Amino acid sequence: MAAESISRLQGKKAIRSFARKLAEPETIKDLNITPMMDMMTIILVFLLKSFSSETATIKFDESLKVPSSVTQLKVKAALGVTITKNVILVEGDAVAPVNNGKVDPTVKRDGENGYYITPLVDILEKHARKEKKVAEMTGSKFDAELMVVADHGTPYRLITEILYSCGQAGYQNYRLLVLRSRE
Amino acid sequence: MTRGQVRATMRRMRAHNEEAEEETGELNLVPYMDIVTNIIIFLLASVVNQIPLGNVNVTIPTLSQGGGPAENEDPEKPEAPPLNLTITVGGSGFTLAASGGVLPPIPKLPNGGYDFKGLTAKLVEIKNDPNNNAQGETKANFNADATIPYQTVVETLDAMREDEKGKMLFPDVSFAAGIL
Repeated sequence: MAAESISRLQGKKAIRSFARKLAEPETIKDLNITPMMDMMTIILVFLLKSFSSETATIKFDESLKVPSSVTQLKVKAALGVTITKNVILVEGDAVAPVNNGKVDPTVKRDGENGYYITPLVDILEKHARKEKKVAEMTGSKFDAELMVVADHGTPYRLITEILYSCGQAGYQNYRLLVLRSRE
Repeated sequence: MTRGQVRATMRRMRAHNEEAEEETGELNLVPYMDIVTNIIIFLLASVVNQIPLGNVNVTIPTLSQGGGPAENEDPEKPEAPPLNLTITVGGSGFTLAASGGVLPPIPKLPNGGYDFKGLTAKLVEIKNDPNNNAQGETKANFNADATIPYQTVVETLDAMREDEKGKMLFPDVSFAAGIL
């Protein structure tokens, strides 16, 4: 067993050097990801905020291509009236069908040559009453604003019919939604 | 002291050290970070797809009960008549009319497109003419033929809004005078 035994001094030396090794700052085992996570959480909050503040959630497809314009005005939220190739929508709910750029004369109060689109006026009057009530309760002013999203090929006659009907329901200011182009 | 004793001491020390490390150890944040990274990628992808949208503001003329003529602050100086500019888009071009009368029409370009630059130039001329008293005027009426597409309407409004240098012309547009 002589080979197994070592001197007391040697033993102590070996233990001390091992203790020193343990106390030494170790080599990087895994990255400290906490700061990175802080950063990511901030980015996440920022993105979520900008995502929620984006008001226009309109689905553009073949039947709804908005015209382009050089306007610099940013979109502001308002009650949305959408005119696609096939249908008129108020806040996403279908109101009246459109055929070849014309509203079906049966839904107009004054027939083919009339401007008054009865279901559109009815639904907008409901919205106007609600908005007026909210404005009254919050002490603000009813701004009578509508956001009009129309397909670029919509004939002017249909636009005027719709704007006339909106006017009958009490909305006089329109924000025409367009695609902003630099030129 | 035997080698075995030295080894046993070292083992004890290592176990003690690991225990201490575990006690102060951090939360395992890796799964959380995976989720956050996924959400960020998803949100970034949906932000990139957003289209630059803008607004063109228009109004319609409103009828109201007049409250009688406003008192003229300076009786010596009669109030200037309003310009009452009306721009009509027809099948053959633009027609401009103001309180002074109807101006010569602006025909379409030879390629069949509307002469938006010509319209802007004409409006600059009207705005700057001292006889018109239109320096502060920003209102204009807009009208168009029944079949004019919406794209042309918006382009005409663009041509009416400002000149090439960005100076305001007639940005307060009222649609379809006479329909209410």
